[in-house]
Amino acid sequence: MNDTDIATQEMKGADAGPAGAGGLVLSPAERKHGFVFRVLGGLLSLLQGMAVTLKYFLRPWTVVTRQYPENRATLKMYERFRSNLVMTHDQDGFHNCTACGICQTACPNASINVVTAKDAAGKRFLRNYVWRMDACTFCNACVQACPFGAIAMGGNFENAVYDRRLLTYSLNRYSGPPANALRKVVDPAERQKLMVPCSPYADCQAPADAATNTGDQ
Amino acid sequence: MTNLVQAEALWQVKTLSDRTVEAIPDSPWLATGFFLLGIISVGALVAGLGLVLIYLERKIAAHFQCRLGPMRVGWHGLLQTVADTIKLLLKEDIIPERADKLMHLMAPFLSLLATVLVLVVIPYSPILQIADVNIGVLYVSAVGGFGILGILVAGWSSNNKWSLLGAMRAGAQIMSYEISATLALLTVVLFAGTLKLSGVVQSQADGWWIWRAHGIGLVAFMIFLIASVAEINRTPFDIAEGESELTGGFHTEYSGMRFAFFFLSEFVNMFVAAAITATLFLGGWMPFHIGGLHGFNAIMDIIPPVIWFLGKTGFLIFLIMWFRWTFPRLRVDQLMKLEWKILLPIGFVNLVVAAVAVLFDVYFFPRN
Repeated sequence: MNDTDIATQEMKGADAGPAGAGGLVLSPAERKHGFVFRVLGGLLSLLQGMAVTLKYFLRPWTVVTRQYPENRATLKMYERFRSNLVMTHDQDGFHNCTACGICQTACPNASINVVTAKDAAGKRFLRNYVWRMDACTFCNACVQACPFGAIAMGGNFENAVYDRRLLTYSLNRYSGPPANALRKVVDPAERQKLMVPCSPYADCQAPADAATNTGDQ
Repeated sequence: MTNLVQAEALWQVKTLSDRTVEAIPDSPWLATGFFLLGIISVGALVAGLGLVLIYLERKIAAHFQCRLGPMRVGWHGLLQTVADTIKLLLKEDIIPERADKLMHLMAPFLSLLATVLVLVVIPYSPILQIADVNIGVLYVSAVGGFGILGILVAGWSSNNKWSLLGAMRAGAQIMSYEISATLALLTVVLFAGTLKLSGVVQSQADGWWIWRAHGIGLVAFMIFLIASVAEINRTPFDIAEGESELTGGFHTEYSGMRFAFFFLSEFVNMFVAAAITATLFLGGWMPFHIGGLHGFNAIMDIIPPVIWFLGKTGFLIFLIMWFRWTFPRLRVDQLMKLEWKILLPIGFVNLVVAAVAVLFDVYFFPRN
């Protein structure tokens, strides 16, 4: 086969192919019926498109825009919306964090710092779960990495502050052992002794007889 | 024939220029007053159309896309356009260093001038028309094509390759679509037997040309509508601006006040296109009549002509906006293909068929 043959074949192929009739992509039906069918078919498809947009135009309840400051009282964020990291606490106020530090390792931009302490028996527990919102990209890697389901992504998006230091949170409400360890302690008074209350911005105090080490060694 | 006489008695056209001419012998001051009234009303119309249409466009676009549009400035954002206008007026007016200064300054005004000139001859109602030239249809197509000059001058004088490309595209596009638009216009001129715009409206007293002519009118209407949308450079034919390719096309280098003028002329152009289409095919200010049904026609006559005109024009403006927010932009070659390979042959065939129809009086409710 010489060059001319190939060229001829290519030309035939172009004529018969889907891009025949000068670049327009035609369906077999269109190629069979020609000009009128093509024009009418095109008009019909345009009308179909217009029907779709008109459907949305005539249905104001399909509008997805929220009038935010006005509807603040009734605003519900989507379940999958991620805007802040929270440590989940159950009805007793216990969290599941064992201070293993897997989330800290998983975090791509070092916005999590798990500060741990050791009790008298040498067992490690959580002292401070430090999360820096200003460094966080809300990638969800920490939540996926956590083997105990101790942390989750919340929907509270009103996080604007005037001082960037206020974007560093301590997520745990108490410093102490996780829920399953605390449940084994029967005496409520004894339990309270193991849990030192924590506020979001304060450095949590470890129980008196504990040795501390920071997570970022 | 009685019908015709009745219709002409009922729809006696008296334009502002007629009044001016009548007033000259009695009182030159009254004539001057009419003259000034004409100028002021056109100016007010341009400003009012700008405010209303830009707001409408934004609201309609938003609802086509499941959004709300402007909601903050005024009730449901009613004053948004006013706020935007003030912002544009206060902005710095930048002229590129190597630009052709005079032409760069002139272009937006040329663009607006073409549309304002058409506004003068549109029949809004029998008593609301500024001038009724006897070659109205020819005037409209000639002056409408003049709008391209503003775009070409803007593109050339900006000293920017994107502007120039946009302007050249617009030039090719408007020149091409002018042919189809004119062919569709000729169909109506054949039916109406006059070039006078008020005459075209009066000829539709027994029924609008879009349905009176056994489909010929409908085809002409669609060709004219498509060609008009192309001539006013609106999506799906907005390759002259082509934000994704040309960063704004011919008005890339314009800012502030003179950008606002381009913007305004675009929207007034849309009104003009809709009004001319309504006048030629949907009867302009003529109420919906069915030849012979006098009771029905009398009921329709209760609604004032200017409401009929605004209703039809408003519907067509909505249609053009609907096109814009539904169809994607055409490529340059597709645009040319649509005109030269599809619209033009159909337009020619339609014109010939229309000529035959007029010759043998085969449309609905013939006049004799």
